[in-house]
Amino acid sequence: MSPLLIRALLDRGDAFASTSQSSISSALKDKTVVNLFYENSTRTRVSFELATKRLGGSVLNISVAGSSVKKGETLLDTATTLNAMHPDILVVRHNCAGAAKLLSQHVDAAVINAGDGRHEHPTQALLDALTIRRRVGHIEGLRIAICGDIANSRVARSNIHLLGTLGAELRLVCPATLLPAAVDQMGVSVFTDLETGIKDADIVMMLRLQTERMAGTETPSQREYFNFFGLDKAKLERSAPNALIMHPGPMNRGVEIDSATADDVEKSLIRMQVEMGVAARMACLEALALGLDSTS
Amino acid sequence: MTDIQFINAHIIDPSQNLDGIGYVDVQNGVIKYCGLGDAPKASKDTKIIDCAHSYLAPGLVDMRVQSGDPGAEHLEDLNSLLYAAAAGGVTAFACLPNTQPIIDDASMIDSLCLRASRQGGSQLYVYGAATKGLAGTEMAELGLMAESGAVGFSNGITSIQDALVMRRLLSYASMIDKPVIQHCEDASLIADGEMNEGETSTRLGLIGSPAVAEVIIIDRDLHLVRLTGGRYHVAHISTRAGIDAVRKAKAEGLPVTADTAPPYFTLNELAVSTYDTAMKLSPPLRSEDDRLAVIEGLADGTIDAVSSDHVPVDGDAKMQPFGPSQPGASGIDTLFALTISLVHGGHISMIRAIDILSLSPATILDVPGGSLVPGSQADIILFRPDTGWIVKGVNFTSASRITPFEGQPVQGVIDATYVDGKEVFRRG
Repeated sequence: MSPLLIRALLDRGDAFASTSQSSISSALKDKTVVNLFYENSTRTRVSFELATKRLGGSVLNISVAGSSVKKGETLLDTATTLNAMHPDILVVRHNCAGAAKLLSQHVDAAVINAGDGRHEHPTQALLDALTIRRRVGHIEGLRIAICGDIANSRVARSNIHLLGTLGAELRLVCPATLLPAAVDQMGVSVFTDLETGIKDADIVMMLRLQTERMAGTETPSQREYFNFFGLDKAKLERSAPNALIMHPGPMNRGVEIDSATADDVEKSLIRMQVEMGVAARMACLEALALGLDSTS
Repeated sequence: MTDIQFINAHIIDPSQNLDGIGYVDVQNGVIKYCGLGDAPKASKDTKIIDCAHSYLAPGLVDMRVQSGDPGAEHLEDLNSLLYAAAAGGVTAFACLPNTQPIIDDASMIDSLCLRASRQGGSQLYVYGAATKGLAGTEMAELGLMAESGAVGFSNGITSIQDALVMRRLLSYASMIDKPVIQHCEDASLIADGEMNEGETSTRLGLIGSPAVAEVIIIDRDLHLVRLTGGRYHVAHISTRAGIDAVRKAKAEGLPVTADTAPPYFTLNELAVSTYDTAMKLSPPLRSEDDRLAVIEGLADGTIDAVSSDHVPVDGDAKMQPFGPSQPGASGIDTLFALTISLVHGGHISMIRAIDILSLSPATILDVPGGSLVPGSQADIILFRPDTGWIVKGVNFTSASRITPFEGQPVQGVIDATYVDGKEVFRRG
């Protein structure tokens, strides 16, 4: 996506975040949004649901549990079935990279990728950018450290693309076992030491580490991981004096971040991220709805 | 008396280093004469085929074909496979034992070969399963299967992981002088791998299989070859490191051979960028450097053969996200043209192309064919190397129509195929 398009979405998200008036846009009036979630999600699904409702649309939630997926129906068959009901926008989360792209080739509805495997989570990156912009005022020139399970993180990949496009200086910090191959080719610098990696950083973005990756597989133990890669007050002192902390959630308190740091009202943007999630998704939904109207 | 005389043919025969206009006499299914120059006047009962300077070469010998028959005839049965082989210029091919049931028993080999011979056409050979049920643990009845015609032993699409099992296989197979065909990938390293590991896998969010998974198995096996003296063949080699290892082993004089398949010298991992599941292959498409190494290996003789790596894949198994989709693609329709592209690209000579498609694999498998020397079985193809066409799965003669080369322009068509002196295919 071009910087111009990203800025347009951020501007619109900013406007949505600045008002609680429901009259600001009714772009989704008479439109149906289907949330098709193959992975458990609370915040992303609710965020899309709320965004749809605020734009006057109707929303249908389909989660894997109790659906025909468990009866062996393939992703494409489910999509074709849903397509026959003519939804306008399909919001998809799936555990396979490329799933949203595959669906978009087989349905008439516009498709929003709400997370596809380890690949991308574009609206998360958009809400992260919106959060940073509203708090700091700009993204260009900021030194942003993304720390944690980079290899398995779609949030990291989307943020590398989006924040990099907007001119941030990006650093990745993680144990070597969680570093994806040749990631330094994506315009980032790589650190395997947290204190060096977040030195003078303006933003420290922590990522969730799944507990099964701390049982002697990717990392030796939870205790060791927190010791070297968990964010606490002492380590945070290495960052810039006014450094802000972000986390896409859900957090593992005491694993990648300690509670005192996560809940620091001065420094933590974590709750604001959730709030901006609705506004950023409203911007995406509205843009698609306007596009749908202009093509139909 | 000569039955058929091919005249004005541009003969390519790597076994005699022949490359020029000449003629070939066939009698009773056997080459009676092959040489350059004008043919003498034949008797009136001889069938004269004027090749008008188009090419004549020994038929292709394809070392790696998966047959859907028995067990998955709805994907491809023997009839369709044999016809596709003939149309692709393949006069003989060897099937992997990973059918259903698995070919780990002499009677299975008898049965499949017998059914194929009843169909006629191209010659079907079979690899016996190296281990019972392809489980990789217990040695199958190699000797009995060899007596029934097994041309080698393979563990199908999986690698033999256990070093002791591999040692014993090489050791035992050396008594019956048959090659052990290894698909080289360390299973623990590739665990959930979905594509080649590198910048592309990172960008796409797909789980990477590291290229070193290939050379780790090759290096281990080469030590075991040194220990046992068994004949070892690396199937569909795809990495520079693996090719370097084979090159060194050959220089050392070890009984090692290798083949590759057209995707590994034609495409690289970037082809996966659109999540096109036709690009999901095993081993995965590698880096550009690996692709160039495959071409170098074919040019300098490190890689002996090119096989089609033909896999009949269920379309439904490909209509999925990239990760869980089934690896493999159809290959027999495109084997010839894609390999000839190396000649058009200036990488190898036409003689070398026919060597890697015909003489070398026939030699590795120790089967008839691959040569036009008088006395050889008359397995012959007529072809035009420059004629262009566009790869379209729907037009394949094989019932398996998923190809990573969909829409790609290629050059080189088979005009006719002869097996045992009998015409089994002619372009209409």
